[in-house]
Amino acid sequence: MRTVDRRQRLAFTPRDTVFFQLRSGCLRAVLFALMWWILTDGAIASWWVGAPVVLFATLVSVVLLPPITWSLPGVVRFVPFFLWRSLYGGVDVARRAMHPRLPISPGLFCYQWRLPPGLPRVFMANTVSLLPGTLSVELGADGLQVHVLDERKNCL
Amino acid sequence: MTPSDLLSTVLLIAGGVFFLAGTLGLLRFPDVYTRLHALTKADNVGLGLVVAGLALQAESLAAAGKLLLIWLLVLLAGASVAHLVAAAARQRGIELWKR
Repeated sequence: MRTVDRRQRLAFTPRDTVFFQLRSGCLRAVLFALMWWILTDGAIASWWVGAPVVLFATLVSVVLLPPITWSLPGVVRFVPFFLWRSLYGGVDVARRAMHPRLPISPGLFCYQWRLPPGLPRVFMANTVSLLPGTLSVELGADGLQVHVLDERKNCL
Repeated sequence: MTPSDLLSTVLLIAGGVFFLAGTLGLLRFPDVYTRLHALTKADNVGLGLVVAGLALQAESLAAAGKLLLIWLLVLLAGASVAHLVAAAARQRGIELWKR
């Protein structure tokens, strides 16, 4: 319920919208600066080009992509889960590919959306594709079509 | 051989095994959907392990960051392209293989 409240706040009071836009702009500027630092191997002289580029990239990104709502505890919980499960997914598919009898039993399922349209759904579809045994096939209006490698084992 | 060299070697070999398994899946799996499973998952894990093994040998933090960036880009591209191929196959009415 809290996320709904937050979205309503985002949509309805202009002051909050400006605050969220500023905050996400600053965060993106830091991320772009970090990327520039990585790409140039920390060369000091490169910042004559880098600073304007980072500024420009931040402006473009704020115009093109509205602020994304996310939470730090959510990210902290998601990253280890994602790494561990994708490792498991790799091991699982590798085992099946190398097994003499090819133990797969594919099927197609439809998952009813519980996420708002747009970026959250795309993010989920991509995550599903990287997690064990599932592959996003179609992002429909009311559900996500998921291909599963083994319907005896993977249930949504 | 230092411990980090040893760890790098183990990670690189493990990464290679995953690439081999992904390719084996591409050849052995029966239809386009199941082949995509093999490619997206095994190759992403394989590349992740190779990147981890190389990052241990990186000369600077920025070089390790660059490797991590490459992995994230491949992860994003791999998942998106796998979805696009699967969606296109579905639209053309390619039936999925059933046991």
